[in-house]
Amino acid sequence: MAILSTKDLKKVYGSGENEVHALAGVNFQVEKGEFVAIVGTSGSGKSTLLHMLGGLDRPTSGGVTVDGKEIFTLKDEALTIFRRRKIGFVFQNYNLVPVLNVYENILLPVQLDGGSPDQTYIKDIINTLGLSSKLGNLPNNLSGGQQQRVAIARALASKPAIILADEPTGNLDSKTSQDVLSLLKVTGQKFSQTIVMITHNEAIAQMADRVIRIEDGKITG
Amino acid sequence: MNVSNRKIIRRLSIASFKAAKIRNIITVAAIALTTILFTVLFTVGMSIKHGFEQSNFRQVGGYSHGGFKYLTKDQFEELKDDPLIKEYGKRIFCGMPEKEPFHKSHVEVSYCDENTAKWMFLEPIEGRLPKEGTGEAATDLRVLSLLGVEPVIGNKFTMTFLVDGEETTETFTLCGYWDYDDITVANHVLLPESRTQEIFEKLGTQGEDGMTSFRNLNVMFKNASNIEENMNTILERHGYQSEGLDQGDNYIRTGVNWGYMSAQFEDSLDISTVLALAAVMLLIIFTGYLIIYNIFQISVSNDVRFYGLLKTIGTTGRQIKRIISMQAFLLSALGIPIGLVLGYGVGVLMTGIVVSRLDGIELTYSVSPVIFLGASLFSLVTVWLSCRKPRKMAAKISPVEAVRYTENSVKRMPKRRRSLSESEIPQKGASILRMAMANLGRNKSKTVITVISMSFAVVILNITFILANGFDMDKYLNRVVADFIIAQAPYFQASTFDKTGILPEEVVSQIEALDGVKGGRTYQKTFDAQEFVSEEWVRKQNGKYGSAEQVDGYVEMLEKVGDMRADRVQLYGMEDFVLDKLPVIEGDLSKLKEGGNYVAAVYSDDDYGNLHEDSHWAKLGDKITIRYVKEYEYFNPETGEIYGEDEDLSESNKPYRTRAKIYEDKAYEVAALVTVPGKISYRYYGADEFVMGADTFKRDSGTSDILYYAFDCEDDKVAQVEQWMQDFAGGDDSMYDYESRKSEEEEFYGFRNMFVMVGSGAALIVGMVGILNFLNAILTGIMARKREFAGLQSVGMTGKQLNQMLITEGMVFAGSSVVITLILTLVMGPLASDVLEGMFWFFSYHLTVTPILVVAPVFLAIGAVIPLFSYHYVAKRSVVERLREAE
Repeated sequence: MAILSTKDLKKVYGSGENEVHALAGVNFQVEKGEFVAIVGTSGSGKSTLLHMLGGLDRPTSGGVTVDGKEIFTLKDEALTIFRRRKIGFVFQNYNLVPVLNVYENILLPVQLDGGSPDQTYIKDIINTLGLSSKLGNLPNNLSGGQQQRVAIARALASKPAIILADEPTGNLDSKTSQDVLSLLKVTGQKFSQTIVMITHNEAIAQMADRVIRIEDGKITG
Repeated sequence: MNVSNRKIIRRLSIASFKAAKIRNIITVAAIALTTILFTVLFTVGMSIKHGFEQSNFRQVGGYSHGGFKYLTKDQFEELKDDPLIKEYGKRIFCGMPEKEPFHKSHVEVSYCDENTAKWMFLEPIEGRLPKEGTGEAATDLRVLSLLGVEPVIGNKFTMTFLVDGEETTETFTLCGYWDYDDITVANHVLLPESRTQEIFEKLGTQGEDGMTSFRNLNVMFKNASNIEENMNTILERHGYQSEGLDQGDNYIRTGVNWGYMSAQFEDSLDISTVLALAAVMLLIIFTGYLIIYNIFQISVSNDVRFYGLLKTIGTTGRQIKRIISMQAFLLSALGIPIGLVLGYGVGVLMTGIVVSRLDGIELTYSVSPVIFLGASLFSLVTVWLSCRKPRKMAAKISPVEAVRYTENSVKRMPKRRRSLSESEIPQKGASILRMAMANLGRNKSKTVITVISMSFAVVILNITFILANGFDMDKYLNRVVADFIIAQAPYFQASTFDKTGILPEEVVSQIEALDGVKGGRTYQKTFDAQEFVSEEWVRKQNGKYGSAEQVDGYVEMLEKVGDMRADRVQLYGMEDFVLDKLPVIEGDLSKLKEGGNYVAAVYSDDDYGNLHEDSHWAKLGDKITIRYVKEYEYFNPETGEIYGEDEDLSESNKPYRTRAKIYEDKAYEVAALVTVPGKISYRYYGADEFVMGADTFKRDSGTSDILYYAFDCEDDKVAQVEQWMQDFAGGDDSMYDYESRKSEEEEFYGFRNMFVMVGSGAALIVGMVGILNFLNAILTGIMARKREFAGLQSVGMTGKQLNQMLITEGMVFAGSSVVITLILTLVMGPLASDVLEGMFWFFSYHLTVTPILVVAPVFLAIGAVIPLFSYHYVAKRSVVERLREAE
């Protein structure tokens, strides 16, 4: 059963002669537990697609279904709440909250939702990602790779339906990239997560179970 | 919303709160300043209200809410425990001395329990109240000095006084004394209850007068509202009434303390005061809003990424709003207490300055919780209002923005820029000024609000200056008609209505004997003189002060003579010196001086010298009659029966009228129409007035009571005479008082200084707010652009150029405020001039921009220095470090 599917997803920026079709009707599905990479060049529309999948931005037309829910039928507040429960994000620039320490950053989505964290599960994630000695640190004191591992831990913490990763290794050197990616894949399997990763790097994309290519706002293969 | 997520929201807001140190310091300062303004306003307001009430209470002679009068022992015991009564006090009236040395004083001998004594301000400064079963008594220093007894505890004193008509002489041992308060009418001698009972037994007192030996029950209720209603409720509960004896024997007389009544009256009716207060409040809220809003607005727009990020992770708009509210609350919790403490200090100072300019209000400092609660509340409201928009803004931030933008930058760029052809590319490239202007355009609302906030203080300063400058001493002193004027002290007190004190001839002759003095007496007659006027005129004159029924009642009481009514008239008998000071409207005063049967009719005018044409009925050349009454009689208007002299008409409820029995009518011709300047008039409006020459007045009225003596003094003797007057009549213990040109000048400067102090105080605080706002705008502007500056420097902008750009930005801020203030002043000035001249009759409007021009260089200097220092702080680290710095 598909955990994520899009239906004729379109996004148009501007109007008239300035009209840009960032997404020109995108249809695809991701099965539960899959690790999918979406590959495209700069300007291909892959970031826009990721924003749509994550409910960060609304499409001009078409829809996205996550875990059986047509997400754009939700109002802003409800969508935010749906997002923090069902979708975990990993960004290129980590986007950790600078004023919270590592542990607090990881727990943030769960606590924002008012839930009490599943301590054994969280501990498991922390150990798997090798963060146990860094829990009290502030993000600024960590290396890029460490920050990205915190971001992955945060994404996993709320046991989301899918994890969306946007160029997760874009700011990292190749050695660290490999490490982070392996960790992402391993944890994904271990905690049976569905992962959708966006990248422009073919080599990195090859680590995924399936590669979807996008160009000029359309799926090409 | 779940309760359990509050914890993380709190954690988030405290954490991000700690990260914004500079913003916090500035915000706390801003909130404290706003609170200072509110606290000062509340302190001055509450202190004046309190002082006003206190003066009233002292005039009334106590501050109990009310009293049940002349109760029997049983009635007293029955009423005192009523649940409506919170506290009660007991008083038993015993007697009053009438003979020397008390023939001119009002002294009451009575028993008062502790509560009553306290409520009547009878609190010993030395010693204590008398003990039961002893021969002790307590009294005030004036009674002691009249008796010629040294104020030493244990001294004996003897008084003779009337107890219900019976004379008795008693000796007491002084056990305590207090200061005499000249506002309170009565002096008191307090005895123990046991002693009063002994006296009553000895004299066989039955209380024939309805007062002596009976008990007064003074009461305090929970609060001062509905005093009269509460008293009547209590009476009803116990089967009594306060309507009158004719309503039944169950009558109990009650008294409500009008000190509370008039205070409430003031509160509820003085709309202009309420409006003025509301305007000042709004002004303060606005001042606070300008800065607090600006700070939060800037803070939120600098933290767009942070809030966007929180959103991406799944923080809802409402949660973000809560984060900001919580920070605002934390900042208030720090700023408000600081503001309350500082504000109360400033408020106490200001109260002193303001109250010393107000007549008849005691200087007290209120410590009412209303001050602190009110100021805190209004400050919180200001903070809340200021945060509303920034909160909304933060809650609306789109998560995509946070992901996309790595730099705090402009929200909306011009839609399209025309592309330039090669020849059009400007040679000079980006100029420093253009860059500075563009930078100010990035956050337009920040720029505009900062400029307004800075202008605000200068506007207030300038208004203060215009006010102080416009108070025209020449105009003010125009109303001073003589160099000196001396009279009994009450004549000069605005709050006293009994101005009939008589200045002894000996005082006048002493002054006349001084070197270089030339003056004249004015004699007074305010009662037992009548004029004959139409009913219509009486109605017209009194209609301003009472309802139609009241006026009807008044007219009815006046004796009818032909188709006219005999109404009271006030007469002046003026010596030539004073006559010469009167502005003549029509006719001339020489006939008055010659001593024939001539009078001048007194018209009134307003402070601006506009004559009230219909303020008197007499016209030039009119023949008028004045009736001097020696004795009145009372009669029944229905039966014509003439009442005997002993009959107590106020108690018996029989209808009665008054008419002159023995009198003399004199005819005069109106030789002039004049006004009597306020300074040499009776100083209150009482009745129609006529002026006579002094000789005619003394001959016809048979009186020679001097109201005041006014005199001029040769220039080189002024200082000497001023000193003499100061010694003779200037002291607090003197029965006399005087006004001089010098004391008027001092009054003028005092009045002006009050405005200068209050105005510049306000300008100072508001100015600090403005500069703080500016500091914040510049600082945050530089901090947020750290990376950008590094970028600029990396492509070749020198530190000097960067500094130039920042200074230009600061100067544009400061310069715009100056320009805006100038425009405001020039536009608003003419409008303000009418309002101000309408408010102060001695005001002459002069447009001035001096304060703005003085402040301008200061502002420009601040505009240059603040950016310089802020940048210096940033520039400590190398360009590369700053470029690398992660957000």
